[in-house]
Amino acid sequence: METVKATVVELEEKNFIKIEIGDEEINIPISEDKPNEVKSAFNKLIARIKEREFEIKLEDIGQDLFSQVASEYITQLNREIQEVRGEMLGYGLVEE
Amino acid sequence: MKIDIHSHTKKCKSGDAPTREIAPDDFCEIIQSTDVGIIAITNHNVFDLDQFTEIVDIMDDNAQVWPGVELDVKEDGVRGHLIVIVSPQMANEFFESVGKITEGFTPDSFICTVEQVLKIFDDFNPLYVTHYKQKTPNLSDEALEKLIAGTANPSRVIKEVSNSISAGIYISHGYASIYGSDIHDWSTYEGQACNLPDLRLPIESFDHFCLLLEKDPTTINTILDKKVAEDLILTPFEDSTLLKLKVFNDINIVFGPKGTGKSCILMAIAKHYLDAGTDARVYESASDRLDELFDTKGRDLSLNLNSYGINYCKNEIEAIREASEVGITSLSKYEIYFRIKSTSKNAKKIKLKDIEPEEEGGAKREFLEFNDGVKKTREFIEFIQGHPSVNKELSTEEIEEVTRMLSSLLERMSNREWDGYTGWKEINLLNSAIEKFRTEIERKTGSPAKPTTTGFREYALNRVRIEANASEIIKSMDTKIKMLKESIGSLGPNKGELELRTEFKFQDGTITDGALNKLKNVNKGSQKTFAKTVREIFKHVYEDDLFQHIANLNAIDDVEKIETVYELLLFKRYFALNDQPYSPSSGEASMVMLQKELEADKEVYILDEPERSLGNEYINDVIVPLIKERARAGKKVIISTHDANIAVRTLPYSSVYRLHGPAGYTTYIGNPFSNNLVNPNDENDWLDWKKVSMKTLEGGEEAFGERGKIYGNG
Repeated sequence: METVKATVVELEEKNFIKIEIGDEEINIPISEDKPNEVKSAFNKLIARIKEREFEIKLEDIGQDLFSQVASEYITQLNREIQEVRGEMLGYGLVEE
Repeated sequence: MKIDIHSHTKKCKSGDAPTREIAPDDFCEIIQSTDVGIIAITNHNVFDLDQFTEIVDIMDDNAQVWPGVELDVKEDGVRGHLIVIVSPQMANEFFESVGKITEGFTPDSFICTVEQVLKIFDDFNPLYVTHYKQKTPNLSDEALEKLIAGTANPSRVIKEVSNSISAGIYISHGYASIYGSDIHDWSTYEGQACNLPDLRLPIESFDHFCLLLEKDPTTINTILDKKVAEDLILTPFEDSTLLKLKVFNDINIVFGPKGTGKSCILMAIAKHYLDAGTDARVYESASDRLDELFDTKGRDLSLNLNSYGINYCKNEIEAIREASEVGITSLSKYEIYFRIKSTSKNAKKIKLKDIEPEEEGGAKREFLEFNDGVKKTREFIEFIQGHPSVNKELSTEEIEEVTRMLSSLLERMSNREWDGYTGWKEINLLNSAIEKFRTEIERKTGSPAKPTTTGFREYALNRVRIEANASEIIKSMDTKIKMLKESIGSLGPNKGELELRTEFKFQDGTITDGALNKLKNVNKGSQKTFAKTVREIFKHVYEDDLFQHIANLNAIDDVEKIETVYELLLFKRYFALNDQPYSPSSGEASMVMLQKELEADKEVYILDEPERSLGNEYINDVIVPLIKERARAGKKVIISTHDANIAVRTLPYSSVYRLHGPAGYTTYIGNPFSNNLVNPNDENDWLDWKKVSMKTLEGGEEAFGERGKIYGNG
């Protein structure tokens, strides 16, 4: 299974989980509630799940609050990504 | 049934083709492969009794074989051929007589006179068939007169001509005429046989045939009495005159000049049968009703998509229309959880809340997989053990063996099913417990529990389901439905078969053909927008604007009428000839309507002037054979006609002739076999069927010219 790199980044005093898949960056805002942006990020992830199986690995995990949030979030997200991929396989919707 | 009064089985003369030779077995096989029911063996100057006997034995009752000989006769220096055919019961004596007359000759050298023929053969009461006119070498008129004058049975002298048209012409001039195969090459016989004369009445024997030639009334009536018929008493006319008719399960003709009440008789017959509960109506040509008859507007058109393996997509369409966005877990919940986690002492003590929920989708899918497998295996075992077809094909031991193996498989799969179920439920229980504990801790300690899901799963699965539904709808819309072709009928041998074509297409968002009609009451524009929007939904299913497209779908006019893909169907129905769209003329419309009427499975066919708008060629080549076919199937066919092609060429069992004379209207009833039309109210008032037909019917003389094809009357 492919491993996809993720890091916690800070841009203009806002924190994001930056997931790098291929040449695309998917940013999930974690320091404020922006559901539409999160959904947008989810849509990009779903499109990638259709293409291949992968797992997100969070790198450079610090002890700060957002690192903890990101770590937990990615753990849960990985579990759910596997579930969604399984469902997609069941519907015959994966691109393989 | 056909008759062949002139055939050869041997090469007798040096000029005979070797292909005339045929072994008895082959002869019988060929004859039985045709409609020929009576065949006379008439070799040149030879009668081979042994061969004849062998053929009769092999043929059994499958066809009548009559003994005969084709003799070389010379009169006044002119040589011609004269066929003598006798009853099969006299074959032995006939053999001796042929031997006697040909003694001292070879088949090549044999020659005799009419007088010699009469002297040797006339006591047999034979059938004389003379080569005549174009059928060479022919007997001169003088020799023929000598034969007729000398025989005890002049009605048994028949002129053999070269084909049916010639035969018909001579018949119309009062001469009994016929034609036979005079076969030269047996390999071509099957092809030739279809052109041989038909026997309209059943012929039981040689003597029976001869009696019919003599128009023996008793013989004719006996045959007609054997035919299934029904006596009708009708009051077809305004003056309440009773009309007694015998309607045969065959062809019955009503003819006469215009305005003599023929249609009234048909109406009365139809009423009689309708009152008795039989489907009967008077068919009248109405070419303008063709589109209505074949429903070209598609008013009653429908299609079962299941029979084409197409999903109606009712659930899929409903699911897409009702789909809405699924919320996700707010990120602030995570932040709050981790912010408070470090400060709440009570919450820290309870570790259960920190156990991660487990993914249960995989366990559930595995259980469902085995659950389905167990169900299907169980059904298959029941099928194996109980289905008659399996019992017929497999022995008891084989069924037991298959059942044993399947039972073993079932047991193993049941175990996996149970393991899958308990595994799934364990995870389910654990996750529920975690969720419950978290909620309770949250409530008791005032500190928020750790979120158990990012919401990605439900969010993504919602879209996965939308994609699956849109994909299924598109799959149905993109299915090509094979064009339906229905043969409507022949427009005659030169034009070909008229077809009714029905094309079905789903509006897939791209169709612009204005000739296509909607099958259901849904606006065509709405159909197109719907199809296009479903494609947009599919295309944007993992994009931010997905639900805008779903909103667009729900905003389409008539969208509530599109419950399934069936409502997206378009159709085109049209007539085609030689693979091209075709608009039949009114005459052609009449053709196909009449064919449709005759091809319907009914007991009684009542046709009022079916010839209207139709050409002679079409009547002869298509309609008359169809009428005969119905008659052969034992159906009652009652036809009012002015057309001799129908009235004469079909040789009806019953003819009703209506006449308006000085004494008012008169009805005559008869048939072509007796050649009489008799006034039922006055038996002395009778007419000649042939003369009346020729005079009254359009194309009468020509029809008689053709009628030699059917040998039932001379």
